Amino acid sequence: MSLVNYIYLSAILFAIGSAVVLVRRNAIVVFMGVELMLNATNLAFVTFARMNGQLDGQAIALFVMVVAAAEVVVGLAIIMSIYRARRSASVDDANLLKL
Amino acid sequence: MSHSYVPLLFFAGIGAAFAVFSVMIAPIAGPRHYNRAKLDAYECGINPTPQAEGGGKVPIKYYITAMLFIVFDIESVFLYPFAVAFDKMGLFALVEMVLFILTVFVAYAYVWRRGGLEWD
Amino acid sequence: MIASMAGALPTEFVMTQISYAAVLPMLLVFGGAMIGVLIEAFAPRRFRHEAQVTLTLLTLVAALVAIATSARDHQGITAAGAVVIDGPALIFQGVIVALAAVGVLAMAERFTADEADAFTQSGAAVPGSPREAAAVRLGATSTEVFPLTLFAVAGMMLFPASADLLVMFVALEVLSLPLYILSGLARRRRLLSQEASLKYFLLGAFSSAFFLFGAALIYGYAGSLELSDIATAVQNQSGMDGLLIPGVLLVVVGLLFKVGAAPFHAWTPDVYQGAPSPVTGFMAAGTKVAAFGALLRVLYVAFEGVRWDWMPILWGVAILTMVVGAVLSVTQTDMKRLLAYSSIAHAGFILVGVLALNQKGVSSTLFYLVAYGFMTIAAFAIVALVRSSGNEATHLSQWAGLGKRSPIVAGVFAFLLLAFTGIPLTSGFTAKFAVFAAAVAGGGTWLVIVGIICSGITAFVYIRIIVLMYFSEPAGDTMVMTPTVMSTLCISLGTLVTLWLGIIPSPLLDLASQSTLFLR
Repeated sequence: MSLVNYIYLSAILFAIGSAVVLVRRNAIVVFMGVELMLNATNLAFVTFARMNGQLDGQAIALFVMVVAAAEVVVGLAIIMSIYRARRSASVDDANLLKL
Repeated sequence: MSHSYVPLLFFAGIGAAFAVFSVMIAPIAGPRHYNRAKLDAYECGINPTPQAEGGGKVPIKYYITAMLFIVFDIESVFLYPFAVAFDKMGLFALVEMVLFILTVFVAYAYVWRRGGLEWD
Repeated sequence: MIASMAGALPTEFVMTQISYAAVLPMLLVFGGAMIGVLIEAFAPRRFRHEAQVTLTLLTLVAALVAIATSARDHQGITAAGAVVIDGPALIFQGVIVALAAVGVLAMAERFTADEADAFTQSGAAVPGSPREAAAVRLGATSTEVFPLTLFAVAGMMLFPASADLLVMFVALEVLSLPLYILSGLARRRRLLSQEASLKYFLLGAFSSAFFLFGAALIYGYAGSLELSDIATAVQNQSGMDGLLIPGVLLVVVGLLFKVGAAPFHAWTPDVYQGAPSPVTGFMAAGTKVAAFGALLRVLYVAFEGVRWDWMPILWGVAILTMVVGAVLSVTQTDMKRLLAYSSIAHAGFILVGVLALNQKGVSSTLFYLVAYGFMTIAAFAIVALVRSSGNEATHLSQWAGLGKRSPIVAGVFAFLLLAFTGIPLTSGFTAKFAVFAAAVAGGGTWLVIVGIICSGITAFVYIRIIVLMYFSEPAGDTMVMTPTVMSTLCISLGTLVTLWLGIIPSPLLDLASQSTLFLR
């Protein structure tokens, strides 16, 4: 199977992730969309590493995973504090800051 | 290149076949004894307690533990490549890794002292 | 099969050479932040605030000294091509550290109590809950803001000094994650603050994913993430051209989000309004400097070879940013939102300088960033002083007649507004003049014309506030807190730099034009 297909898959996953961010209303689901985008990127990095015959892309994927985990923790902490204050994780309910 | 995956596919096929076979054969070949406990919720053996308010959501404390787990768990990703090749990298890499682990321990000290690990 | 795998592995480990003298400033700031975390963990509560403020300021001063002495003599690309310490990197780092030091002064303000005034007593407690009340009784305070600030500063310093897109991504996250938390820690209107934090986080994570995917595409194109290798690959045009331009654009989108350029500006007003005012000042100044530094580096070093592909798009972004910032600031009724839209407009003016694509472009951008940074930190420190029944009086109507109630504060604020406008004898004038002159030299006359029109629109907004402060009757119970030495120092430093750069701009302009050469 051609390696290019993995790049297409990664682009599709990235697009799905960004669609989730734009469409869904629940902060946690939005956040899952962001994670999907980051992991799609990881797939692209690993595939390109294979195409270029290097290991760099795989090492990069490790860094991305760690950064994504740190982001998860900060994000969950923020969402959790909002949820505790309002009993809701909907982005639409967070509406004090409308124009 | 593709031929090198043939053994893997073969192995996966055997694995799947074994799982399907075991599940299918058990009701046919095995003895049948009625036991109430077998019909209960899996794993715990006791009936579930009444649901918490708001539909039995996971307590928020659980999230704190989960978050701390994620962050410390993922840091160990860097230990794997280090562990594979540390004998080739010498003292420099060892010192770097010790510094990295110390950094993680500073975070741990904060969590521990400020009560992040207390369940109640 | 095993033999073929072994061929892919490097046969010999090559030890990375790190010039510790060159990265010493960043190590100092990071180390200071670590000690700050340990203080949080082990020091008794009553000592924490003094200890943290002292530690933070000392760290920043030490970092500034290290930049001026140790790092300056050890320029070069270091840490296996990950970090580059060159003229622009050094000056950007110096500016970031100096702005952070002034910003920390504002964060340390505590009036007569013994806790930091702008920050919540307990970020983890639900607003209005018994646990929050208990924290207030105990006199708890979020002294964590100081280590968090230092972590953000370390990320900001690495951002314009990264010679590799992966390092740039890590730096982007290191500077962003603490800021997401900092914006949720306001003491008053906590729900608003938490909401700002959530919005900033979700949109920030979204944009950094774009940055990273762009980096992945560029990696596919160039086979490396090092900026110099990318520049070489761009010159030679390898086989996969379809990856390059989308990659460049996605990376640039990630950076434009951080500077708050339209159409990626939607988070700016919300976050600036919800975040504690001293944090807003620090964030507005520091993030802009760091992100423009990184933007300059990727555009000038890595993507220069395909400038005809990204130039038209950035032209559009610059024009849109100036117009959106200027026009929407007219309709604002909240002081912090107004300053946010003003910051968007300023981001547009700075982009005009970036797009000049010449030596003057770099130096004028730098000058503008310094001028804007000091003005904005001082302005937000003043916003934190004006109160109405305990809360910050951010509605414009509450500022009516402030000139009669508190002539000094109103006078300083009016001076800063004139600097935002770009009136001669303030740094704002020199800065605008420098970027517009550079842009005309670089062939961006149309950009400059739009810029001047937008400056005119923003001038109307600022002058209206000055009129409101001086020529209308005081209304409501607005009062001005008496600042202690901390915010006094912060506001005076910001104002004096603004005045100094307006009257004698040449030392900084010379310094900036001497350090415009990016190392490749």
